[in-house]
Amino acid sequence: MYAVETHNLTKKYGKIHALKGLNFTVNPKEIMVLLGPNGSGKTTLLLILATVLKLTSGTAKVMGLDVTRQPTKIRQILGISFQEARGFWRHKPAEILHFHAAICGVPKGERDARIEEIMKDLELWEARNKLFMHLSGGQSKRLEVSKLLIHRPQFAIFDEPSSQVDLRGKRRIWEQIRRLREEGSTILIATNEVREAEYLADRVTILDQGKSVVCDAVRNLKDEIAGGDVVELQLEQGSNNTEELRRELSNIEGTVDLVATGEDQYRAHVSMAEAWVPRMTSLCYERKARVLSVRVTEPSLDDVFLHFTGKALETATNV
Amino acid sequence: MSSYTSRARHWRLQQMYDIIRLVWFDLKRELTPPVWIIMEWITFMIQLGIYGALISQLVTGVSNYQQFYAVGFVIMMTFDIGSHTGRHFVEHAHEGRLPYLLSLPISRSKLFLSIALQGGIELALMITVPLAITLALIGNVTAVSVVAVIATLFCLGFGVAGLMLGLSFIAFKSTDIYTAITVGLSTIIIRFSTVLYPLMFLPPGYASVAMLSPLTYGADLVRLLLGFDPSILLNPIYAVAVLIALAVSTLGLGTLLLQRLVEGVKSA
Repeated sequence: MYAVETHNLTKKYGKIHALKGLNFTVNPKEIMVLLGPNGSGKTTLLLILATVLKLTSGTAKVMGLDVTRQPTKIRQILGISFQEARGFWRHKPAEILHFHAAICGVPKGERDARIEEIMKDLELWEARNKLFMHLSGGQSKRLEVSKLLIHRPQFAIFDEPSSQVDLRGKRRIWEQIRRLREEGSTILIATNEVREAEYLADRVTILDQGKSVVCDAVRNLKDEIAGGDVVELQLEQGSNNTEELRRELSNIEGTVDLVATGEDQYRAHVSMAEAWVPRMTSLCYERKARVLSVRVTEPSLDDVFLHFTGKALETATNV
Repeated sequence: MSSYTSRARHWRLQQMYDIIRLVWFDLKRELTPPVWIIMEWITFMIQLGIYGALISQLVTGVSNYQQFYAVGFVIMMTFDIGSHTGRHFVEHAHEGRLPYLLSLPISRSKLFLSIALQGGIELALMITVPLAITLALIGNVTAVSVVAVIATLFCLGFGVAGLMLGLSFIAFKSTDIYTAITVGLSTIIIRFSTVLYPLMFLPPGYASVAMLSPLTYGADLVRLLLGFDPSILLNPIYAVAVLIALAVSTLGLGTLLLQRLVEGVKSA
């Protein structure tokens, strides 16, 4: 059974289609990252799964429960950290977290310890008695994420968990999300930050204009890009039959393009560098050409997005 | 069987705790310190003590107009709190609090019940002192009539809150239009009612419009229960029927509309 399963999921806001017949699955205990530009339907999908929004047509199930027929049961096993923490302007962070923990059923004996641990780890402890309206953007975002980390639901949804947060804060949030998964939670994250996706994802689903473009492990997605890996190769000077060697290197399986960038220096665009490099070293060994250095640069998720959608992640917009 | 019963009881208790938690979480912030409630009480005292006392010297058609005015002011306060509760809910949607509340592990009916309960408690807190002063001013009231008055005020408050909730669909299109409509509607509902003057003294055109205002029925029923001259008031049977119908229909319609609208709107 999938932790999440949608079939032909459609959501319309008036005449605008936010989701267009989306088929999507998440495996139990994995971290699935939804990657897509603003307006691609990420938040809409999360809100439908969290039973905050109603779907227009199609079906969506969370842990086998139907979002339309069993919304209260779903909310009892799920938690969501929203894109923006808003609303409780006159409450203090510690109060908000105590309320959240209590209403989400965190055992009374564990609440204080969990809240203190998470607040300290996310550097909110000093701000625990400030009013929410006096928190910085980063602090209020960390507070929003803290709710889920304290709740530890069976299925956790994070909408851009580290936006507005500084680099150190991001790392801490990511570590806590990983820890949550290790403790058995299934996690769904929506983001348009490539680094966040690369750091956290077991699998990535690329959404564009309300549709799933592709879904796979990050490694596999990168490998899908023909010639996406760049290998820079430096051989010992004075290698014999340079031209013949260059031709043979070009003929290695997976080579898309190979150019000489200097004397005994080459740059190759290859598919799956991890397979291409051993073939290249064997060939060089056979030809008695000594390899001085090999530098492999793999494509980023931004390149992956570009490859599958035809546009860059940062600039893509729709609707 | 007993284990099942025990689990069911535990579940019901848990749900009740959750409702109380939701209500108290919001309410305690509004009550620390309870400035706005005390300000409302002071406003009532000043209005009644100065304006009410002076205007009653000028009014001759109603015996002791200050008492008539005191009841009218309590009705206006009830209307204010009821409409505040309805508008508050809409503000929550736009501030982003509503999506959070909708994601909590409680049913929609319990969530709406907690909102209604909070409105009820705010109403009780707000009118306790003004009502006590009004009752003291009128004097000679029975416990039964006081209970009936309180029930009437709650019925009216829920009806008004439901009316504002029912109108909240406008806010999802435009908060400006919603604010303009609710403020305009409030002005009309209060002025074209028997809150400040008896129906029989109104010109026919005004009187027919005042019959459409829920405050007319609330004010006249409360006055009847407190011993005012029935000849200047509406038939109490009509008033009871209208108030109950208002509370049930607007709250029911408001809840239904919200269940359809809130979850269908991108408010996060």
